Amino acid sequence: MAGGEQYSGVHVLDPEGVDYTGAEVEATTVKPDDPPMPPVQWMKTNLFSSVANSILTVVSGLFALWAIRGILGFIFDPERRWEALATNMRLLLVKSYPFDQMIRVWVSFAILLGLTGLALGLSRSGALAPVSRIASTARNVGLFLILVGFLGPFELGGRIRWWIAGAVLVAVWFGVWRIMGDKARFKMVPMLPFTLVLLGILVGTLWVFPYGDYRFVDNNPTFEAGTVAMTSKIGWSSMWLTLVGAWAVGVAMSRSSFGVGLRKSMPLIWLVAPFFVTWVVMRDPDLDWDHVLSTDIPMFLGFAAIGGVILFFLSKPGLGEAGRLIAIALVVLGLATWVFAFFGWAPLWPMLQKARLSFLLLGIFALAAPTFAGETAKRLRFAGGWVGAMALLHYFATMINTTSTLEIAEPSFLGGATLSLFVATMTMIFSFPLGVLLALGRTSKLPIFRVLCTTFIEVVRGVPLISILFFFVIGFSLFLPQGMSMSQVAQICLGYSLFSAAYLAENVRGGLQSVRRGQFEAADALGLTGLQRTGLIVLPQALRVSIPPLVGQLIATYKETSLIYIVGGFDLLTVANRVISNQSDFLGAKMEPLIFVSFLYWVVAFSMSKYSQTLERKLGLGTR
Amino acid sequence: MTESTTAVPIPDRLKGANDMIECDQVNKWYGDFQALKDVTATIKEREVVVVLGPSGSGKSTWIRCINRLEQHQAGRIVVDGVELTNDTRNIEKIRSEVGMVFQQFNLFPHLTVLDNITLAPRWVKKQPKSEAEENGMALLERVGIPEQAEKFPGQLSGGQQQRVAIARSLAMEPRVMLFDEPTSALDPEMIKEVLDVMKELAREGMTMMVVTHEMGFAREVADRIIFMEAGAIVEEGTPEHFFTNPDSDRTKLFLSQIL
Ligand SMILES: Nc1ncnc2c1ncn2[C@@H]1O[C@H](COP(=O)(O)OP(=O)(O)OP(=O)(O)O)[C@@H](O)[C@H]1O
Ligand SMILES: [Mg+2]
Repeated sequence: MAGGEQYSGVHVLDPEGVDYTGAEVEATTVKPDDPPMPPVQWMKTNLFSSVANSILTVVSGLFALWAIRGILGFIFDPERRWEALATNMRLLLVKSYPFDQMIRVWVSFAILLGLTGLALGLSRSGALAPVSRIASTARNVGLFLILVGFLGPFELGGRIRWWIAGAVLVAVWFGVWRIMGDKARFKMVPMLPFTLVLLGILVGTLWVFPYGDYRFVDNNPTFEAGTVAMTSKIGWSSMWLTLVGAWAVGVAMSRSSFGVGLRKSMPLIWLVAPFFVTWVVMRDPDLDWDHVLSTDIPMFLGFAAIGGVILFFLSKPGLGEAGRLIAIALVVLGLATWVFAFFGWAPLWPMLQKARLSFLLLGIFALAAPTFAGETAKRLRFAGGWVGAMALLHYFATMINTTSTLEIAEPSFLGGATLSLFVATMTMIFSFPLGVLLALGRTSKLPIFRVLCTTFIEVVRGVPLISILFFFVIGFSLFLPQGMSMSQVAQICLGYSLFSAAYLAENVRGGLQSVRRGQFEAADALGLTGLQRTGLIVLPQALRVSIPPLVGQLIATYKETSLIYIVGGFDLLTVANRVISNQSDFLGAKMEPLIFVSFLYWVVAFSMSKYSQTLERKLGLGTR
Repeated sequence: MTESTTAVPIPDRLKGANDMIECDQVNKWYGDFQALKDVTATIKEREVVVVLGPSGSGKSTWIRCINRLEQHQAGRIVVDGVELTNDTRNIEKIRSEVGMVFQQFNLFPHLTVLDNITLAPRWVKKQPKSEAEENGMALLERVGIPEQAEKFPGQLSGGQQQRVAIARSLAMEPRVMLFDEPTSALDPEMIKEVLDVMKELAREGMTMMVVTHEMGFAREVADRIIFMEAGAIVEEGTPEHFFTNPDSDRTKLFLSQIL
């Protein structure tokens, strides 16, 4: 190729040489872009192929121009008070989280970003895209910017700035096309590093570009438009470094056995992360070390050790009837601790809540023990699983039950976007297994389960979400035993989880019904137990079928978290809709925050739906 | 009806063998419809029995009663000395000794071929993963498709799928294998590869009960042929007797239609 000299100034990559990601090994398996069509021919085939097509093109083109012009006119209207948004960004994201503790929010964000980077690195997932596609994307964006320059309500100077920006992008495309020519369709670029570099450039502009500085000083908004923002550039740069660093670590480890093990435990880590980030990092429990040492740790050790020994014994192969009896006795014991609490007899048998949970969990593990019976190593893993479960349970129960060091007047340390995301995440974590259980119960042969689950599902689906929320926030504490209480956020999460579970259950049930009878028969004929048949054969197939409706339901629930305000929570939408426009400095500034918030909702919902498509494709591999 | 189950000569190789499956006056109804009528038969260890009969005669129903995919309502079924009752322990025991191959293969589409085979040994027999995979590969070798181990069932031909299904059953080291029309869903060119595997199994001394329309297989491999009609056993005999000199008119009619 002719590019040898062109590259000489900036030493990038040997164009023919080894790529740092080893991408060219896979490059052969990625389909190159189709050869580009000349623009005129492209228009002919796609836009003006027939009279009807031409009319449609013209009409919808005019409509699009009109709409873009309207939107631009709205956004860049001098009347718009975007500084209301910029000044209140912190309020939108974390509501009244103490300013001097803001580092905790950054750390939380860094943990999540670090996990993301690690997961991406470990899975070595790297979509590849041909250079030509990246270039033509740049060209299209550039053309759009030029169009914006024409349609927006700008002075001439403003227009020229848009045109220059657009022209730069178009020039990128032109340069690639000139230098690489047809090779651009075959040279693959790993998208992930490319995206990271783009993000880096974006973050880098914080250091030089005068985005302006907007904040409250002693409750007075101060605007310094046209300056380089001081507050966030260090924060965002650290976030970017965390992401990239974690990704690099993940890639480096991905081939080692530790990396493989870590990749397998990523789902568990992801499950624990939201609890850790919110209750430990952001809430900062004020641990009473005397109590921890005298009660919490000994209790954990007791449950872990005694339970571990019992479960190791119960997972002995061929234990038979004796094992079953012991397991049932443990379940009865676990349930009894709750019955005592709920009927107000707790003083007769006082214990901490986490002890009750531990007893119940021990019963469930005991029931599952025969399924995990096997050679010693396998039994040890099972007992180890118990110890791990206990560690998590006792750790988080202790943290959640300890008062926070934060001084916040409101009922919750979460607010704004953090509250919305928190409720949505908890709802997903709890409603998914609950929905699966409800679906299984509804299709089970046991009449009690069937009737209970069916009743629950039908009642919840027939009641508006708002009344369920009211019930849980106002009425639910009447059902709780004496001495047991729930924070308002927990009540809200519970309400959402039960609501969402009822809908998820119906989706899962649809999936269950699509599993063919032969699958049940084959599992039975092989001697699998009913539990194994469900868990290993039926559910995996049912869930795979129901991924699209399940994700659709999760997205719907996520958007419905905007109803939190009805029961008095300050979620993202409430802050945007009611708080900002009531500030004396920004009276009536409603549209700006609402547009921004809608955009945030859209980004998350869109990513979820994209992810579900990827998941579907990945899982679809095995099916016909 | 029970008279017909008399005097089938026992081949030399089965002399002194234990009874593997005993059915005594087995009856089954679907609602008001009686699908099995006083079915009585005994199958010896290492014996290969082929069950023939017109469509709807109850062949599948009978064979499926033997591992409790269907429940009989009267009579006794005893497999290797264990009677099938509502006691789940007996059902578990019998299912672990009886393998079954279905017309529609019924492989698990979400698992690879090797995982299909190792699933039951690992979860039911509690075999360690490495051991189960070693056995699984040996079985795939035996049915002639070790190179397909990492594929998914949907990527295999019908004949290959059925051979995987046979390997999956064999992985549980059953003492009896039930086949319900194992080749009926296959294209002609794939039937042979499955029948060859079954012949090999029979030669190795597996007790087999086979519902099939493959008369060649029946003639060549069966020790005994049982002919059913309308839920009852009409005639029993060696292949030679059955194909050349059947007793009942109904059998003659069936043979004239099928041969
Ligand atoms: N689940 C069921 N409910 C009601 N009737 C059934 C059911 N299964 C089978 N039958 C009836 O029982 C009879 C015997 O069916 P079976 O499937 O055992 O026949 P078959 O001999 O295997 O026939 P084929 O050669 O077509 O497979 C048939 O008349 C059938 O309609
Ligand atoms: Mg049949």
